[in-house]
Amino acid sequence: MSEDLNKTAQSQQAASATPAAKPAAPAAAKPAAARPATPAAPAKPAVNEMKPKQVEAAKLHDELKRLHDQEGMDFLLSLTGVDREDDGLAVVYQLENTTTLKQAILECVVTDRENPLVPSAADLWNIACTYEREVYDFYGIKFTGHPDMRRLFMREDWVGYPFRKDDETEKNNPLRMTNEPLSDTTTEYVLTEDGKVEAVEHAIFQEDDYVINIGPQHPSTHGVLHFRVALEGERIRKIDPVLGYIHRGVEKISEKMTYPQTLALTDRLDYLGAMQNRHALCMCIEQAMGVEVSDRVQVIRTIMDELQRIDSHILFFSCLCQDLGATTAFLYGFRDREKILDIFEETCGGRLILNYNTIGGVMADIHPNFVKRVKEFIPYMRKNIQEYHDIFTGNVIFQNRSKGVGVLSKEQVISFGCTGGTGRASGWHNDLRKLRPYAAYDRVQFNEVTRTEGDSFARYMIRLDEILESLHIIEQLIDNIPEGNFREKMKPIIKLPVGQFYSEVEGSRGRFGVYIESKGDKSPYRLHYRSTGLPLVAVMDTACKDNMIADLITIGGTVDYVVPDIDR
Amino acid sequence: MEDKTYIGGIASGIKSLATGLKTTMREFFTPKITEQYPENRQTNQMFERFRGSLTMPHNEANEHKCIGCGLCQMACPNGSIKVSSEMYETEDGKKKKRLVKYEYDLGSCMFCQLCTNACPHGAIAFDQSYENAVFNRAKLVKQLNREGSKVAEKK
Amino acid sequence: MFNFTTITNWLHSFLTTTCGFAEWGAILTESVLVALVIITLYAVFAIALIYMERKVCAFFQCRLGPMRVGKWGLLQVFSDVFKMLTKEIISMRQTDQFLHNLAPFLVVMASMITFACLPWNQGAHIIDFNVGVFFFLAISSIGVVGILLAGWSSNNKFSLIGAMRSGAQIISYELSIGLTMLAMICLTGTMSFSEICNDQYVNGWNIVRGHVPAVIAFIIYLVAGNAECNRGPFDLPECESELTAGYHTEYSGMHFGYYYLAEYLNLFICAGMASTIFLGGWAPLQIAGLDGFNAVMAFIPGAVWFVGKAFFVVFLLMWLRWTFPRLRIDQILSLEWKYLIPFTMVNLVLMALCVAMGWTF
Repeated sequence: MSEDLNKTAQSQQAASATPAAKPAAPAAAKPAAARPATPAAPAKPAVNEMKPKQVEAAKLHDELKRLHDQEGMDFLLSLTGVDREDDGLAVVYQLENTTTLKQAILECVVTDRENPLVPSAADLWNIACTYEREVYDFYGIKFTGHPDMRRLFMREDWVGYPFRKDDETEKNNPLRMTNEPLSDTTTEYVLTEDGKVEAVEHAIFQEDDYVINIGPQHPSTHGVLHFRVALEGERIRKIDPVLGYIHRGVEKISEKMTYPQTLALTDRLDYLGAMQNRHALCMCIEQAMGVEVSDRVQVIRTIMDELQRIDSHILFFSCLCQDLGATTAFLYGFRDREKILDIFEETCGGRLILNYNTIGGVMADIHPNFVKRVKEFIPYMRKNIQEYHDIFTGNVIFQNRSKGVGVLSKEQVISFGCTGGTGRASGWHNDLRKLRPYAAYDRVQFNEVTRTEGDSFARYMIRLDEILESLHIIEQLIDNIPEGNFREKMKPIIKLPVGQFYSEVEGSRGRFGVYIESKGDKSPYRLHYRSTGLPLVAVMDTACKDNMIADLITIGGTVDYVVPDIDR
Repeated sequence: MEDKTYIGGIASGIKSLATGLKTTMREFFTPKITEQYPENRQTNQMFERFRGSLTMPHNEANEHKCIGCGLCQMACPNGSIKVSSEMYETEDGKKKKRLVKYEYDLGSCMFCQLCTNACPHGAIAFDQSYENAVFNRAKLVKQLNREGSKVAEKK
Repeated sequence: MFNFTTITNWLHSFLTTTCGFAEWGAILTESVLVALVIITLYAVFAIALIYMERKVCAFFQCRLGPMRVGKWGLLQVFSDVFKMLTKEIISMRQTDQFLHNLAPFLVVMASMITFACLPWNQGAHIIDFNVGVFFFLAISSIGVVGILLAGWSSNNKFSLIGAMRSGAQIISYELSIGLTMLAMICLTGTMSFSEICNDQYVNGWNIVRGHVPAVIAFIIYLVAGNAECNRGPFDLPECESELTAGYHTEYSGMHFGYYYLAEYLNLFICAGMASTIFLGGWAPLQIAGLDGFNAVMAFIPGAVWFVGKAFFVVFLLMWLRWTFPRLRIDQILSLEWKYLIPFTMVNLVLMALCVAMGWTF
């Protein structure tokens, strides 16, 4: 245990040395209630304000390469496109060194709106490939040298770039009554010596590939996700994920909403991380405004986050069992999840759409029965975990189907940015609760569960062990929830100061981040969520290659993505 | 893959299968968790914080607390609430606003509680109803203030 | 012990003497009657099995299962069957219509003929001759043709993969079934189902007589039989989470219903065969020395014994199905070729040795 404490202390030191995205600093500004009602402009700079370094497009790739190679920035945390209207289109890169936890934030602005070109970073980080497609899709920024410059979420025959502020989306895109085209080629934009751009076509599949569609309506894609899978007999040659079937444009909708209104949509991203998503957004807004929430709120939020994590991991277990054909174990998981949902419902009023966190606190104080119910739940769950192990974990069929299947190395998970349990199964210590403790995580003791095998079985065991760790965290907090306000008094109209802000939490399946760019209005100018699921889908091709169709299901189940989080 | 001999592998495999069989057989005899809805309709009680649909509580004198200020309408992210109010002149000659019609569209409500939080008078609240299915979408648009109701006078 | 031949003899004499039928006419009438009885039984057992599966599965899963239609949901399956009968059979473009429509009939036919092989009672065998076991094995293999045709004619990639898996799986596991049956034939010395049962009525159940090799054969038979029925954990050909519904993805209405029916009846046939070969078929439980007990047991009709034993085995198979996750195709094949086949072969030798040395009870 002392070792763990040391580690925590170290990581805290490391975190405080980081220029941006500091922990949920206890030493922030004064409580909101005491502050004058002038437009939001905190005395101190917000702890989560980002100060990106401006880089020209021409020098961007060299700078990224320098950071990647020399400063060991091996993790591309997030890549955000922003439309600055007259100032051009911006791309914000957030990099992190996974050993020293040092972060670097770069921003590249291009003024050419007709043909914006930015060099691709796909050769440095695997996940950049997917992130850049997203930016291209929404902002039309072409990344030169990117091998697969297709749209990521929108239909291929979509006209315009919907996240641009001047896009006439409705006018250009009437309801189409034709089937969605799916091209078999991708385009690469190559920058030639004389500064011109050439489009090069690449085929996605080979001539003799036997391509089957797993999804968009398929029992084990966990939502409306579409994989085009090239097979050779039962073996998988290549997977091409087709995303966006339930893309709702949450980020774009949020630009028209006030800050309290944006909260309602977070529960609908990763619905198994509703608490944590909303926690992240609330935290980002609170930190940007310099509001400090009470201790009571911090503890309640921590307990709720952990309950949500247990809920998510139980569902993970259940769905994995279901995917592998163990239907009975699936229902055992659901039986236990019901208990958590009851706890949620009693306090929050909802089971899936919890709607609990709010700016400055939580919607309502915990229900009088809450503590009692949670205390009953902890031993109950411990007992049932054993049952899970009996019926499923130890089963020789499951062991054979998961051990050594879909192995991901540590380098791969970092390069793909697979945070959460998937990353930890490959030996990457990425638990934000340890690295940069927020809320009440600095006052509890728990282990960061990691494994080194990186196979499906490790990913599975990580989740089950994390349930136990979460129970342990809740156990430490449940008896001493401090007194205090459950919600700080906020002004009726919430405005953020001008700037870019980023906060993140450890979601159920990885680091969930919120990027807000504010112009000082009551709505965000740009709101971007770092999806926890997108890297997990992006890694599927690598993880599944040369495995069998049945393994695709196992791997898909164990990397544990949730589609509404990918298609925001 | 663990290193196991052929026979050892079989033995441990069978043992693991037997553990699973034992577990399911034990569950075969445990009490079942199924809730038999709609048979339990009478006894099924939702938690008091459950958000079923928006209502405007009226007292026995058919009075509600809504003054028609429209804050809820402004707070609603989906435009589910439409408040119609009119100006009228009280007996002592003051111009006052009063509620004419409070329309609520359950179909587009996402139960975010912003309206109830915004309401300065506690005039609206969520109830615990959960059987909200109708055959026609138009029926989801409800008028919350009752016929002939009026604002409760402040005491 | 009640012998069913009294009824059949009476019927035959009734038809020939009282009704004045010619011999061929009487036999024809009897065949038609038997066919009707078999088809009715087939449907009745399918309904009973589906209801049982839903209830047993629900109880393993802490649920109640169907409760709504009729008392304890007893009429649920009837309403499901009725629904299935009224559904449209959708014909698709770009499929091989003839084969597509033929396939479910092949499957259901194979399962009906094997169903007719079961010895229901003393004297109540429908298809019974001296190489009955061979006949059973041969006919049950027709079903796989139907599955392969279904996969091929559907013009659907999922169906094709499912059918191919099914082909590989069923053909492999037939070996195990054959070899375990062979081991038991060693013990009984006959291939006729009626004589196998009679033998067990006289000498005691095979699983007791054959002790160790018979128990091993029984377990292997259960595993292989489960695989033969395409049931979990061997339900790869139609495994829902990978191939949506495998070979019958494109079938609708009663065509799908035939597959569904055949799946459950194959389960019953598999269990019925297990009870015939290992558990004495219609032979009642007899314990040497307990005459009173034996008399009571013998009083229970053979058909009850047979069906009771078969349902006991069905329950065992359901227990397996609702406990284990699904295997992967390579694991299914390696289970068969690396584990079951060597074991059955050794077991066959062991059984032959036991029989030759007279080490049987």
